[in-house]
Amino acid sequence: MSSFETIIWINEQFKDTNELVQKNLEYENKHIVLIYIKSLTNFEMLQNLIIKPFFEMQTEQQFNIYLQALPQFQEVESKEQLVLEIMNGNILVIIQNEYYLLDIRVSNNDKVNSTYVETTIHGSQLALSDNLETNLNIIRSNYHQSSLSIEYFVKGEVNKHKVAIIYDKEKVKSDVLDSIRKRLKKVDKQIITSTTQLNNFINDKRFSLFPQMIITERPDRIVYNLAGGKVVLLVDGNPQSVAAPVVFFDFMTSMEDNYHTVLISLFLKILRYAGLFLSLLLPALYVGVTSFTPEVFRTELALTVAGSRVGVPFSSFIEVLFMLFFMELLLEASIRLPKAVSATATTVGGLILGTAVTEASLASNIMVIIVSAVAISTFVIPVNEMAFSIRVVRLVLILITSVFGLAGLVLGFFVLITYLVNLDSFGEPYLKLYTASKNKESSGEKA
Amino acid sequence: MSRYYYYLILINMVANIIASVPTILLQYHKDGSVSSMALAVVTGTILVTIYTRFFNAFPGMTLPDLLMKTTSKWFYKPFIFFLALMWFVAGLITLVTFIFLLVRYLTPEMPVFQISLLLIFSIIFGCFMKTERVLYTIELILLITFPLILFIFYKAYTSKSIEWDFVKEAALYVNQLPNVNSFASCFFLFLGVANLFIFNRFFTKKQNFKWMHIAFIGIISTLTLFTTYFIPIGFNGFENIDDLVYPWITTSDSLRMEFFMIERVLFVFLLFYLGIAFLSILIHWHVSIEFLKYVFKLEEIKFRGFNLGKYIPILFFIAVSLLFVRVMNEYKLFRISIYFYNTLIIFFPLLIILFFYIKRSMKNADKAKQN
Repeated sequence: MSSFETIIWINEQFKDTNELVQKNLEYENKHIVLIYIKSLTNFEMLQNLIIKPFFEMQTEQQFNIYLQALPQFQEVESKEQLVLEIMNGNILVIIQNEYYLLDIRVSNNDKVNSTYVETTIHGSQLALSDNLETNLNIIRSNYHQSSLSIEYFVKGEVNKHKVAIIYDKEKVKSDVLDSIRKRLKKVDKQIITSTTQLNNFINDKRFSLFPQMIITERPDRIVYNLAGGKVVLLVDGNPQSVAAPVVFFDFMTSMEDNYHTVLISLFLKILRYAGLFLSLLLPALYVGVTSFTPEVFRTELALTVAGSRVGVPFSSFIEVLFMLFFMELLLEASIRLPKAVSATATTVGGLILGTAVTEASLASNIMVIIVSAVAISTFVIPVNEMAFSIRVVRLVLILITSVFGLAGLVLGFFVLITYLVNLDSFGEPYLKLYTASKNKESSGEKA
Repeated sequence: MSRYYYYLILINMVANIIASVPTILLQYHKDGSVSSMALAVVTGTILVTIYTRFFNAFPGMTLPDLLMKTTSKWFYKPFIFFLALMWFVAGLITLVTFIFLLVRYLTPEMPVFQISLLLIFSIIFGCFMKTERVLYTIELILLITFPLILFIFYKAYTSKSIEWDFVKEAALYVNQLPNVNSFASCFFLFLGVANLFIFNRFFTKKQNFKWMHIAFIGIISTLTLFTTYFIPIGFNGFENIDDLVYPWITTSDSLRMEFFMIERVLFVFLLFYLGIAFLSILIHWHVSIEFLKYVFKLEEIKFRGFNLGKYIPILFFIAVSLLFVRVMNEYKLFRISIYFYNTLIIFFPLLIILFFYIKRSMKNADKAKQN
């Protein structure tokens, strides 16, 4: 196909936009055509890399060689690729029948954010940026291994975002990698804007409660995951990565565990698991103990609980749901509110609602304590996604307990464990105790 | 040996405390329970050794796999079905016992039907997991419940209320001849190893099984039997101990935790033993369902592409359990447990003959292959 026809074809593809620029440059029997999208192009680079040399060089051939030598140069394989790359911010240079694609896009989202979701006291405070290239740069400069591989997919029928699969070729489990590739190929959504969406699209289940991939914005966590043989996914325009396969215990680890002394991180871990159990079981335990079997507690405690419930017109079940409902509302509201107002929400919710509810004897004092303890202990879970799942499971446990009593709570908890053990994350068991000897065995098999 | 192997054995041993085993033992406290226990430890350990050695010789193979290779269809199909029934009944007895316990001691106002549904539903879906996942579940739940159960035993041994004179008096009856019923109930403790019929699927590598492991099992079983029998006597006295319906519940209710939020150990004991009972039923019914899969090829029954066959046993299990709970009471359950345990002491030693047959024909098959 001649260059003339191609230019007409490209113009045809872009006929609905007025951003496409086509420039014909002619000087001293040199002749080139430049095609690019105005809003995506870095003008300074265009000027320095292409236009200036064009006027300075003697022959067309010299310019040809010069273009091919540029680091931004990219091979052209098909006509469709031309259109796609122009939309990505490449500039197309046509010299006679030769096509050259040069990546001189300008992107204003490549600033590195500071950590916002997974904050720690020790360790790096920098997270990822919104730009895929910058993120890859961050990962590469933190993980110096020649076996680090990156594959690209283009996903989203309409917005055509780049998705990168990153893994350490020597450490990754190949069946996990294959299943991720396969499932990723099957994704046929119109718009993909975030890595977290992939979490839903590639887990092969219509309803899922527990996250099967772990979201992180911390480069150190990504490096840690890569070294552990996980596959990391990144989407252009999104400052969060997801990693798979995961086990339940990943969600209970904070990066800071590695930065503290051993005993302190052990203490923090115990604290965290205590928080997990409290936030799961405490409200249901309250329902079970007050409504079904008050004799479980020692007499003094049972009397205190009963005494604090004097005047409360509801059964403990309604009371718990009522208070939890307001707590969940408060949590949700404080995420949505603009920062300036969120302090007010906490004051109104925490102080005013808490005291007023007990004074109006709509809930007992102990209930208010339990709800706030539960709210605080939910925040202890280091990865936010898991905290969301725990919030839902907590409600289910309350429902079971209000029908079946304490035995229901205990069995419900065991069923939860059974469910988690039965879950798969890309073929790996979700919940399982790992021991050192077991690890040795598996690495031995690999070797 | 893999730690998972011990879990299978340990759960069957520990779970007996809430089943009828202590009741049966105490029933015959003057008629040879002590000597039966001693006899059971010896024969039981021998049985465990033979069973483990046998399955160790065929890593990763279940009993139905072996039977299919060595015996003809008319034999193994009814035989496996019989095994499935047996394991189902074993789970059922634990289930009904625990349902009665919960109704008596935790939620007396709740209808039996409701409690039965709770227990059955929470267990039944676990039975359909892969064998390895069942083992992982066992490990996690044991990790949560077992330390507290050990703590309760520790409390019992160090309690001021335990009278060691009663224990000594009970031990004096060692000169009585062993009694079939007591022996059968003790023997049941060792039958956790029979779960290898299916769970051997998980142990794909040849395990190391030396006299040290055998001794370990012997010691653990002796300790368990000692605790099961003598601790209730130490707390409740020797003379009329056979009148107690749930000796261990009564015993745990005589313990106090003076400084803890929960004062009566009974509730901690009940709720944490619920975990052990859960695991015990889970293992038994999982094995039962796996046997049924071999007999009826359940995976092949399909309805509009939906795999219906897998869920047929569920209906059967639920219906039979509910019916059983309705017609049972504590006395009948006690009698049935005795009959059940008595069948086992004939059946399981007889199986060893079958094992010899399988081993020989497998060897012959191997030789034929080599030639």
